[in-house]
Amino acid sequence: MSCKLGDRGSYIRSANFESYSTFASLPDVGSLYLFGGGDLQLYEVKAFNEDYHSWFIGQTVQRDGRLLYVTPMDPLYLLLPYLLKAGKEGKFQPVDQIVVDEEFPGCRRVLSCARALKSLGHVAEEREVGSQKFHRYSQEKTMVWLKKKVDRTVKALKNSKICVGGGVKSSTFFRTTQQSDVQEEDYIRYAHGLISEYIPEELCKELLTYLQLPETTSPVSVEPPIKKRKLSDKPVEAEEDYTKFNSGDLGKKPVKKLTAAQKTLAKVDKTGMKSLSAFFSPKAKTEKK
Amino acid sequence: MDLGKFEEDNSQSCRLSSAVPEVCKTQDCCLGIDEAGRGPVLGPMVYGICYCPISKKTDLQDLKVADSKTLSEAERENLFGQLEEANGYVGWALHILSPNTISTGMLQRAKYNLNALSHDAAIGLVQYALDCGVQVKELFVDTVGPAEKYQEKLSQRFPGIVVTVRPKADSLFPIVSAASICAKVSRDRVVKSWKFVEDLGEVDTDYGSGYPNDPKTKAWLAKYLDPVFGYPQFVRFSWSTAQTIMESKAVPVHWDDDEQDGEKAAAKQNCASMLSYFSRKKPESAGREPHRYFAERRLETVENL
Repeated sequence: MSCKLGDRGSYIRSANFESYSTFASLPDVGSLYLFGGGDLQLYEVKAFNEDYHSWFIGQTVQRDGRLLYVTPMDPLYLLLPYLLKAGKEGKFQPVDQIVVDEEFPGCRRVLSCARALKSLGHVAEEREVGSQKFHRYSQEKTMVWLKKKVDRTVKALKNSKICVGGGVKSSTFFRTTQQSDVQEEDYIRYAHGLISEYIPEELCKELLTYLQLPETTSPVSVEPPIKKRKLSDKPVEAEEDYTKFNSGDLGKKPVKKLTAAQKTLAKVDKTGMKSLSAFFSPKAKTEKK
Repeated sequence: MDLGKFEEDNSQSCRLSSAVPEVCKTQDCCLGIDEAGRGPVLGPMVYGICYCPISKKTDLQDLKVADSKTLSEAERENLFGQLEEANGYVGWALHILSPNTISTGMLQRAKYNLNALSHDAAIGLVQYALDCGVQVKELFVDTVGPAEKYQEKLSQRFPGIVVTVRPKADSLFPIVSAASICAKVSRDRVVKSWKFVEDLGEVDTDYGSGYPNDPKTKAWLAKYLDPVFGYPQFVRFSWSTAQTIMESKAVPVHWDDDEQDGEKAAAKQNCASMLSYFSRKKPESAGREPHRYFAERRLETVENL
């Protein structure tokens, strides 16, 4: 079977796409995966997609400037949500009963991927009765497995000099030199974030605890809720009465100490000078006459 | 006049010049600047300078050079021939600004408008004459934009030269008239023998004057519109004539510095407009934000193909 890629007219032979949800919790969001080599290999499909891009391909124009990446993927990530779901029942079950999805019937094909069945042991306890195998999701095993994934990712991040520090925000600017203040924890946290893209949300938090990473306080400051004015029938009164300071009894106010500059200014001869407020008051009408 | 240098690559600007007469290196000279092809939507804009010793001004007047606009094409060719014959004391230089230079200059991110382009071309030519050893003492220019400002700019740029910027200088000073003839003649020749770099097959060269209001030019523009690419480099894309046609007939193209304002722009940039804060909407994605590794690289999950 072959599948057309965009309008390019080139084909990926002996491979086809299957829509399939990674997250059992979000059944309406399907992602695209590619099976290759007679379903032995699993690939995920990612697209580089930025505004204002188009392609010139041969003698044609492709308005969508996307660049598709087809990269190998561990099939276990796709099986994990089903195991997790079935694991809630707490029973040992044959794989055929675990990996069932009405929404995405293609999920069964994942089982035929190389090492898919063998690797189930990383996240589930296995029991063999006769010729049949039964599995039950195991949280401990999964955490051990995910930790290994995180460690490998950290290694890969370091090797490819990915900047994991907090500084980078721009999409076009990448630091070429490693920041010196980047700590091991930053790498682990970054790797955890990457792995979290592939596992159900409930496992992300578990993994965070397992990795002994303290939960970060969100830097986004939550705005305080707008104070609601109490509605009542009583007439509104000002909380403070500012008018009392304007009344004549200025003498009661404590005399402020003047700065040196203010003192010298006070000594200046002000005869013939207008006060500042004079500039804002309407001109005296007598002058006009 | 050999246009070969420009025709080799008419996407770039190019300078052509006569040999510098020996007298111009020893005697005080006057120099006139004028341009041809400022308005047309087709073809290049040509800046021309002409210079001769101040003592030879009357000789130039005797050639009866006049404002190029009042002359027929044949008369202009004839006068240009006479100027070339007078190469004992008259020199010229041209700066051909290709339509491509004009388009890209005016449409680039940091806009380089036609006036700035013109001023720089004029200044470049005067500097070229000075570099060749021409003893320029007087400068006569037909104005581009406000005359006073331009005069001040040129005086500052060339201290020691008396600069006169006047509207209609081409009919007032023979040296400017001579420059205008050089510019106009070369533009006519370039336009007539335009070599299209694009593969258009047999090109219909009946494009008229190239001015936006010429019916022939309009018809030609309508005929040669490509829905994707717009026009050959012969057309000034920055002219509203060309832009209007492309907007209505060609495929819409969006650039990330397109100027749009208000809600439309906000919607496009995917940032919330003020108004959206007042409407209650379900958050767009119930899912998680993609990790910053993917977000920073603009990588997203593919849902269908």
